Amino acid sequence: MKLFRLAALITVLAAFALSGCDQNQAPQQGKKTSSLPPANSTSLSIVSGSENSTLEPLLQQFARQQNISIQINYMGSVDIGLELAKGTASQFDAVWPASSLWLSLGDKQGVIKNAKSIMRSPVVFAVRKSIAQKLGWDKKDVTVMEILEAVEKEHLRFAMTSATQSNSGTSAFLAFLNAFAGGPEVLTAEHLHDPAAADKIKRFLRSVNRSSGSSGWLKDMLLKDYLYYDGMVNYEAMVIEFNRQLPPGQEPLYAVYPVDGISIADSPLGFIAKGDATKEAAFTKLQDYLLSPTIQDSIQAQGRRTGLISMDVDPAKSAALRPVFNPDWGIDVSRILTPIRLPAVPVVADALNLYQTAFRKPSLTAYVLDYSGSMAGKGVDQLRKAMRTLLDQRVAKEYMLQASPEDVTIVVPFNSSVVTSLEAKGNDPQVLGDLLAKIENLEPGGGTNMYVAAAEAVRKMQSYAESGQYHASVIVMSDGMSEGSMAQFNATIAGTGMGKDIPLFTILFGDAQPEQMKAFAEAMSGRMFDGRVDVVQAFREAKGYN
Amino acid sequence: MQKFLGLIILLAVAAATAFFMFGKDKVASFSSGSASTANLTLVTGKAGSEKINFLQSENVQRLLAKQGLRVDVRKSGSVEMVLETTSSGEDFLWPASQVNVEFFKKTGGSIQQSADVFNSPIVLYSWDIVTDALIKAGIVQHRDGVNYIIDLPKLLTLIMEKRQWKEINLPQLYGSMIIRTTDPSKSNSGSMFAALIANTLNGGEVVSTTSVSNVLPQVTDFYARLGYMEASSAVLFEKFLQQGVGAYPLIVGYENQLVEYSLMHKEHLDLLKSKVRVLYPVPTVWASHPLIALNEKGKKLLTALKSPEIQKLAWEEHGFRSGLLGVENDPSVLDVVGLPKTIDAVMPMPSAAVMKEITKQLSSL
Repeated sequence: MKLFRLAALITVLAAFALSGCDQNQAPQQGKKTSSLPPANSTSLSIVSGSENSTLEPLLQQFARQQNISIQINYMGSVDIGLELAKGTASQFDAVWPASSLWLSLGDKQGVIKNAKSIMRSPVVFAVRKSIAQKLGWDKKDVTVMEILEAVEKEHLRFAMTSATQSNSGTSAFLAFLNAFAGGPEVLTAEHLHDPAAADKIKRFLRSVNRSSGSSGWLKDMLLKDYLYYDGMVNYEAMVIEFNRQLPPGQEPLYAVYPVDGISIADSPLGFIAKGDATKEAAFTKLQDYLLSPTIQDSIQAQGRRTGLISMDVDPAKSAALRPVFNPDWGIDVSRILTPIRLPAVPVVADALNLYQTAFRKPSLTAYVLDYSGSMAGKGVDQLRKAMRTLLDQRVAKEYMLQASPEDVTIVVPFNSSVVTSLEAKGNDPQVLGDLLAKIENLEPGGGTNMYVAAAEAVRKMQSYAESGQYHASVIVMSDGMSEGSMAQFNATIAGTGMGKDIPLFTILFGDAQPEQMKAFAEAMSGRMFDGRVDVVQAFREAKGYN
Repeated sequence: MQKFLGLIILLAVAAATAFFMFGKDKVASFSSGSASTANLTLVTGKAGSEKINFLQSENVQRLLAKQGLRVDVRKSGSVEMVLETTSSGEDFLWPASQVNVEFFKKTGGSIQQSADVFNSPIVLYSWDIVTDALIKAGIVQHRDGVNYIIDLPKLLTLIMEKRQWKEINLPQLYGSMIIRTTDPSKSNSGSMFAALIANTLNGGEVVSTTSVSNVLPQVTDFYARLGYMEASSAVLFEKFLQQGVGAYPLIVGYENQLVEYSLMHKEHLDLLKSKVRVLYPVPTVWASHPLIALNEKGKKLLTALKSPEIQKLAWEEHGFRSGLLGVENDPSVLDVVGLPKTIDAVMPMPSAAVMKEITKQLSSL
């Protein structure tokens, strides 16, 4: 029993990678930001979900006032959970995930003290206002089934984070699955294996046009490519940020609270007790500060719900908050929200495994890998390790990145030109193992031209991608200044979905040029991940986007 | 100069040694210049979440310091803390009910001394609209300013029949009727409510080793429908308040939780009074908050907690009724509505053996 629970815990931990950064430059996992530490002062290091990054200025303001230093490491929930499992051996002093579920799952040694929810936000289905009006969603309660029907009938193009990578995706997936299972009080293993429920959740997930590993990044991407999508599944707070960032005159997104498929993120901040009374006192002060009326008001002004009693807004403040919790955007603070009941831990683990291997839209992933001479030695070792993490299904499963039988994997190693071009279908460990062996046998040598290799990857993907049945993505990793040019790449991708439905992600490694890698990713609707400290983690994160 | 350097190094080594010998806490106390706290005996232990605010409050710490004690406490579920076989050197455990003490003895724990410290009844917390509907349904009765659940069997029947909230005229609430509790395999309030359900289903008689099997299937069904359950009553109570009537229409808690919260958040008192309701099951069950002293330091803490001034403070600032015989707790000293002067209808808890069986059954959920 214990072992089973542990296995379930690990699966679940591995399943969630947090989401949500709220700035245009959303922080990457593991990236550390900090204030200048004053000499001889107390320091607090916090491991946090990235959706809290918008609030970091508030914490740094507190640090200055108190003359202490605060470092915030943004991590996914997998890593937060694994960090908590270390107990007192954790390098952090405090933890701040998207949902309190993580504390219950990760904190097996009982080291978390005084966790308190700082703010709340429900997960909603947001569509362009004209669509909501056309469907009558602005005038009545909407069910999850009605959303599915509209998505299919109206061919709504929408985005949602991965249920195994981002808390908003997990929450929405579980809530929608609950509704598709006929709205039981709580999901059980039986419901997960009900063919009718499986059919509906598959239909819904396979209608998603764009996936993401982060809720905040998803919102930013939609903003950048606005009008290319009709909507998104995201936190209410992200919908509010989205609408507030829209250029004037643009049609806003309208938040729909599916009556039978609501979930709420509660953002708890807790202390990791290791017997340091000074740090604990500093933590308590920080928590009191974040929960103080003034700071709660400023958090609320950023679209989070902060009332201490119930989810609505104090009537005295509602007029002032109208531009934030704006009823014209469907934001309804007086609506009584009944979230689904979170299933027991083993059921959550089972559900996420099914998401990853059966329910979700299949992934079409092309890895474009630098095998130039400068990769020799440590570089190529790290690269091999990263590919093992993704292709060795036992390892991939720990991070909830295992392949499904319908996935397609393409690998294009390159130097000045394409070295070879490999492909594997499905999730047979043997097949993926063979692919891995071929990659591991390659030796580095020659120059660097990522553009020509990326173009080759797009050519290989095209026939699959045109079917519309995949979340496609190109992941380009390079360790040096690349020859060739974006113009060269652009010339070869005309007529493909590249840069729209097929995003391109870059992984910065070795001496690669951040400007070049960033520009390439951002021109192609993707983002750059910094792999210079931990390339395995950068690959894991990038893979989490499809 | 060389000699001075030597001395400095020596001092540094001494400081470092002190640091590791006495732990960071003591050194921190020294460095903060507070000589008084440094002289106090540090007592460490675990307590149920409902007593954490009490133990960490400045006034309680001040009164404990007067008796030469300083407490470092970690939150732990009452059921969890007594079933854990590995000790991390605590001086005391402070679960919420006598059954937890019996569990501790059965798992081979050795006790220096143990005694009940407070008394708090298990209550349900709810909202204005839900309470009004329950009154109309004849389940709750409002008498002398207090809400009593006079027909718990009927409430349980409606829940077990999976009636919808709209069937008791609450169309605002989505879904079926439910009472949410903490995880009975970890937390005492969840476990005590399981006992209350079992007793109620047993025709109001305390379940015995023979009768428990008749009601266990229904109790199990009830808990299986809750899905994921919180491990601590403090977290459940906070979520209840913050997420509101849609997410948490009815929860199980301790009587002191609302009192304590009201006193700590006086700015929200009007809102609390207008929206939140405390419902007393008739009969209910007592949580007697026995402290288990594991050594002499724990015994000192136990003695200190039973002193009249701490007992008075416990009621007036944290809502814990006194565990001392003959002490009356007057609700009029509290600016909180809906508290009865005395709790008259109380039912005994089942034996530890029966509770063990219930807990075991519910752990497998």
